[in-house]
Amino acid sequence: MRRAGAVALNTFREAVRDRVLYNLVFFALLMMLAAILVGGISIGIEDLVIKSLGLSAISVIGLLIAVFIGVGLVYKEMDKRTLYALLAKPVRRWEFLLGKFGGLVLTLAVNTMAMAAGLFAALLYVKHHLERTDAVLLIAIYFILLKLTLVVALALLFSCYSTPLLAILYTSALYIAGLFVEEMRTFHSTAANPLLEALLRGLSYLLPNFENFNVMAAAAHGREIPGALVLQNTVYAALYSVIVLLVAAAVFSRRNLK
Amino acid sequence: MSPANSKKWLLLVLLPLGFAGVWELQQRIDIQRRAFEQERDELVLRSGKLVRAMSLEYAPLMADIYWTRAVQYYGDKHARHDPNFELLWPLLDLTTTLDPNLLVAYRFGSTFLSEPSPRGAGHPELGIALLMRGMQANPDYWRFYEDLGFIYYFELKDYQKASAAFAEGSKHPDSQIWMKIMAAKIAAEGESLSTSVFLWNEVYQTTKDPQVKDNAMSHLHLLRVEQDCQQLDALADEFQKRTGRRPARVGELVQAKLLPRLPVDPMGFPYVFGPDGKAVLNIDSPLLEQQLLQQNSK
Repeated sequence: MRRAGAVALNTFREAVRDRVLYNLVFFALLMMLAAILVGGISIGIEDLVIKSLGLSAISVIGLLIAVFIGVGLVYKEMDKRTLYALLAKPVRRWEFLLGKFGGLVLTLAVNTMAMAAGLFAALLYVKHHLERTDAVLLIAIYFILLKLTLVVALALLFSCYSTPLLAILYTSALYIAGLFVEEMRTFHSTAANPLLEALLRGLSYLLPNFENFNVMAAAAHGREIPGALVLQNTVYAALYSVIVLLVAAAVFSRRNLK
Repeated sequence: MSPANSKKWLLLVLLPLGFAGVWELQQRIDIQRRAFEQERDELVLRSGKLVRAMSLEYAPLMADIYWTRAVQYYGDKHARHDPNFELLWPLLDLTTTLDPNLLVAYRFGSTFLSEPSPRGAGHPELGIALLMRGMQANPDYWRFYEDLGFIYYFELKDYQKASAAFAEGSKHPDSQIWMKIMAAKIAAEGESLSTSVFLWNEVYQTTKDPQVKDNAMSHLHLLRVEQDCQQLDALADEFQKRTGRRPARVGELVQAKLLPRLPVDPMGFPYVFGPDGKAVLNIDSPLLEQQLLQQNSK
């Protein structure tokens, strides 16, 4: 585990060196612009716009980082041949994968926390005070981080056996499919084929359900989110990530690196 | 067993277990989300013009997506017997603004909007507004007048306007001859069983959608029940004239040679006489529920 931790720390350092966190400047600019403009173009929904825009930006920026960096985690090391030097040391392949995963999740967590701080600053600028209901935003941000963790796991899995371009395609496709599982389940309203209905229903439970983590609307409106959902989503993201990482480790351990 | 093999077997055991856990957890999350969200219906952008502008050159594709969403929304509400169709009009409004030539959206959409709750939104005025918009955008399509006449006839019971709609539609060169006949018949008789049967039969024959076909068939069944019950009541009156009492069972009409055999409803269940001596559906007949639903929605 210590070895995986060392890989994770280096992955984080590498991300910082690669100026991944520069996106925070973009986020800050977006928030400042929105905070200044929103009062002039909308009536009564100023804080709602800031919350929705902020959460959406955190999600989109996080997703871009998770997918684009995630798919290159293994490939880049192989391409630069640094992986061979690393695996020659007493580091198992699964430890390397776990470290890479942990490193990117750490990067995303730092990034998300910084963006969350920016969102609250913009909100404070617009509303001049914060309310208790604004704390729900923190749960929404936590859910975004859970979602990103799952996306990183998937990107890592695909990067273990395909090129970055294909891995981006696979990860994005699975992410988009994971947003529509609810529709798969309610397909009964139009489908006349019971076999297709059953197949889609089964698939909807096996695909990663990214809609689980979407509480942006509720958070923007300050509606309470039950604690049980927080716990269930945490376990869901953890369990699904473990499954994906297990498969990734199995694939990577069989991969011929010669 | 070699370590590689044991790892493989361990993985084969762990993966199904993991997915079983995911499955179970998802069911719990679904329950939790349903309880916390209550109403998931949300439509962020309601301005058709804005969505159209944002869709760039992909407006027709967006219209298809919104139409699919409208169908799913209606189907889901219908399946859950939820009478709140609040978002149906905005969804249809968006769909037809994005693609004014999407005929299917006007036709089915007006039905979804007009049908009484819980089968539909119970807003025939919105159904009419949607059809009017469709007529404006697609002046050559005569079927909208059929749908308009249908709403006036069945939902609003405004026979004058129903007749006018059929008459207006019959002026189209492509329209069918029965449109003119319907206009005259409704103007002369108002609501009649034969007109209702004809109109529902027309829907049944022309639609390709299985759900609409089922709905039309269900209405046709109930209309046949109405016809049968009227005839049985007339025969019961005849029986009373002959014997001085109302028949207690339909079988007595057969014994009195007023009927050749026991009459059955479209589902094959024999009719019975109710406590008031009027012919009614058998309590076991599946049509009874539909009939009650229809009566409640009137």
